[in-house]
Amino acid sequence: MDLASILYLGVTFGLFVIFALIVLRTYSKKRRKDGEIAKYRMLEDDDD
Amino acid sequence: MQKARYDTDIVRSFVNWSIVWGLVAVLVGVIVSFQMVNPSLNFPPYFTFGRLRPIHTNAGIYGWGVGVIFATFLYMVQRLCRTPLWSPKLARFQLWFFNATIIASAVTLLLGYTTSKEYHEMEWPIDIMVVVLWVAFAVNVIMTIIKRKEERMYISLWYMMASLIGVAILYVVNAAEVPVSLFKSYSAYAGTNDANVEWWFGHNAVAMALTAPPLAMFYYFLPKTTRVPIYSHRLSIISFWSLIFMYLWTGAHHLLWTPVPDWIQTLAMAFSLMLIAPSWGSVFNGYLSMNGQWHQMRDNYLVKFLIVGITFYGLQTLQGPMQAIRTFSAFIHYTDWIPAHIHMGTMGWVSMIAFASIYYLVPRIYGRQLYSIPLANLQFWLILIGQLMWSISLWIAGVLQAGMWTAMNPDGSLTYTFMETMVEMYPYWWIRAAGGLVYLAGIIVFIYNLVMTVRRGENATVATVAAEGRA
Amino acid sequence: MWEKKPILFMLLATGAILVGTLITMVLPFAWVNTEADRIETVTPYTALQQEGRDIYIREGCNNCHTQTVRPLVAEVLRYGDYSKSGEFVYDRPFLWGSKRTGPDLARIGGKYPDEWHYKHMASPRSMVPRTNMPAYAWLADNKLDPQMIRRKMDVLGFPYTEEEINALADKTEMDAIIAYMQKLGTGIPWHEAAATTIVGELKNPYTGVDHATMEPWEKLYEANCAACHGEHEEGDIGPELDGSAYEENELFEIIYKGVPENGMPAFSSLGSDKVWKLVNFIKYYTQGEDH
Repeated sequence: MDLASILYLGVTFGLFVIFALIVLRTYSKKRRKDGEIAKYRMLEDDDD
Repeated sequence: MQKARYDTDIVRSFVNWSIVWGLVAVLVGVIVSFQMVNPSLNFPPYFTFGRLRPIHTNAGIYGWGVGVIFATFLYMVQRLCRTPLWSPKLARFQLWFFNATIIASAVTLLLGYTTSKEYHEMEWPIDIMVVVLWVAFAVNVIMTIIKRKEERMYISLWYMMASLIGVAILYVVNAAEVPVSLFKSYSAYAGTNDANVEWWFGHNAVAMALTAPPLAMFYYFLPKTTRVPIYSHRLSIISFWSLIFMYLWTGAHHLLWTPVPDWIQTLAMAFSLMLIAPSWGSVFNGYLSMNGQWHQMRDNYLVKFLIVGITFYGLQTLQGPMQAIRTFSAFIHYTDWIPAHIHMGTMGWVSMIAFASIYYLVPRIYGRQLYSIPLANLQFWLILIGQLMWSISLWIAGVLQAGMWTAMNPDGSLTYTFMETMVEMYPYWWIRAAGGLVYLAGIIVFIYNLVMTVRRGENATVATVAAEGRA
Repeated sequence: MWEKKPILFMLLATGAILVGTLITMVLPFAWVNTEADRIETVTPYTALQQEGRDIYIREGCNNCHTQTVRPLVAEVLRYGDYSKSGEFVYDRPFLWGSKRTGPDLARIGGKYPDEWHYKHMASPRSMVPRTNMPAYAWLADNKLDPQMIRRKMDVLGFPYTEEEINALADKTEMDAIIAYMQKLGTGIPWHEAAATTIVGELKNPYTGVDHATMEPWEKLYEANCAACHGEHEEGDIGPELDGSAYEENELFEIIYKGVPENGMPAFSSLGSDKVWKLVNFIKYYTQGEDH
């Protein structure tokens, strides 16, 4: 494998890992409640 | 007393002006659609198809689209952050400068001052105006977010911030040009590079101006209207990151089979297909939010606009990736299918959400009951039917045209001359023009309803407005 | 983390946006329009052609006409050799377009004689019945301004002589846009390379058809020939037609392959069947013979 191929695979794999981490973090059990809190705020009346 | 703190005057002004420019965009669109079937409707030098078409597209994107973005973002950001606008004065300047920019664009384009780059036709002095305008807007919104009283940021704010950054980067890079005179410049890039930069801009302008902002509006106005929260905030977050990451790779699907390097085309095609996931993430989120609430499609006219709008978004984001596949692109690109695709996005998805947002806003910012819900329903059907006539006729036309362009005789020669294919288009172009007229009628009903709301609508307290929305 | 920190969030979002941007938009500058793309025969636009190009831009011709031929069989047959990156190195901006309401123009240069373009631009429907192209007769009334081209030359880095610049004073915008169109796609000798070769034996498939059969073929003549050779073959831009002066096969080759040096375009894109119909129409119908 030449440098270009290693770079190519490395970048692709790196991007995949970042995506997997975002998904795991967002959907972790620990953060379950935390992650959904913001949407209930929309039920409160603001000025209206 | 909270109400007095939020700046609603500026929202009113932007709502009004965005509607004015929206009307101009549709009106010019109808005119150019008739020029296509009857060339004697070209009145040179100013009123020819070649000069009017960019006015149609830019009035639609920058006048109507961006105008609605200004109105809704300034409304949403104050409430999502529970804090008044950072600088009402800057927002006044933004309003004034917005109209100056749109008028300057329309006049210069009519005079033939154009860079020719699609959706970026305005010459360099107006590019500078657009940048100033956007910076004034972005600073105001971002500063409001920074001094917010609500710590946790709702998904609409995410899409809003991404849009602020994205549009700025795209516009500035594609605007790189060397002035020759006050109204003439040459692109800083040449040939294939220029094409690649332009469609990186062109396609992502769709992402950052015509996808992220309507999604911000959708995620805000849907729960506000239905009074139930969205299905999943976490799903919206995953969709968000995937969407803004993947969109930027796809510009070259506008350049399949051109001299742009092959690997860029392949990446664009692959990422376009992958984009179906985050797009449909939002569509599913919208549908699942309606769980147990589907009766509101009947009872609540706003829900109808929002859900039909997100449905068109879903269709748009399936059709788009399909067109980004090399083999299908070879067949369908450059035909009338393509404007049909674009107009499903603009007339169906973006404008449906914009109409819903404005219907939600006007009673609240004017303190009046909506003048007539039946008229709002009439408008819904007019714009839906108008858009379907528009798109379906040209999808059929595009397939016919593509088939004729590629048809070959048994001996390997072409079956049809170009003119033989063009004359087949006329009936479909007539139906399209008629569809445009129906859509225009819908806009006129919309404007009439809003004018009557402001003039004659019964005074309403906040509570009655909210109740009426669900009546 | 970023859910509560807008500045950090915006930095991360910018990062997400920049990855695809860097790879598919910035990186290609390393390969595109470099020495590897260079084609020796591709030259900058002359002063007149550049003025014409700017008029093409001003009038928004790119809204209806593309300028890139894709490497697809039907497309190459219709328009000519597919476009190469090196052909566009002097194009600022690029004008590839995105919609073909009218035909592609990447290879329009040299396809028709100048005179055809002058008539077509002034009155498109007199040359191509039922086209929806707007008329641009008024371009012929506008004189060019030689002063502007000096500044354009500086920006574009094109070398124009004083003589060339001064010569613009006698030209109209119509002259310029036609000069520009006649240059399009001629940077590489594709025409010679792609000269149509007729495969197999030429044999008139309509030998002996009667007058009535040929009557509908008049439409083909009107659509493709009458603009230059006159409605009754009396000649106009092109010469008067005398079918009897040529053998059937000669006539077929003239129509199918064209006579580029005399301004006669190749009509191979009509397909051999229609060309044979035209051969019979021109050679026999007008003479009123049932052959």
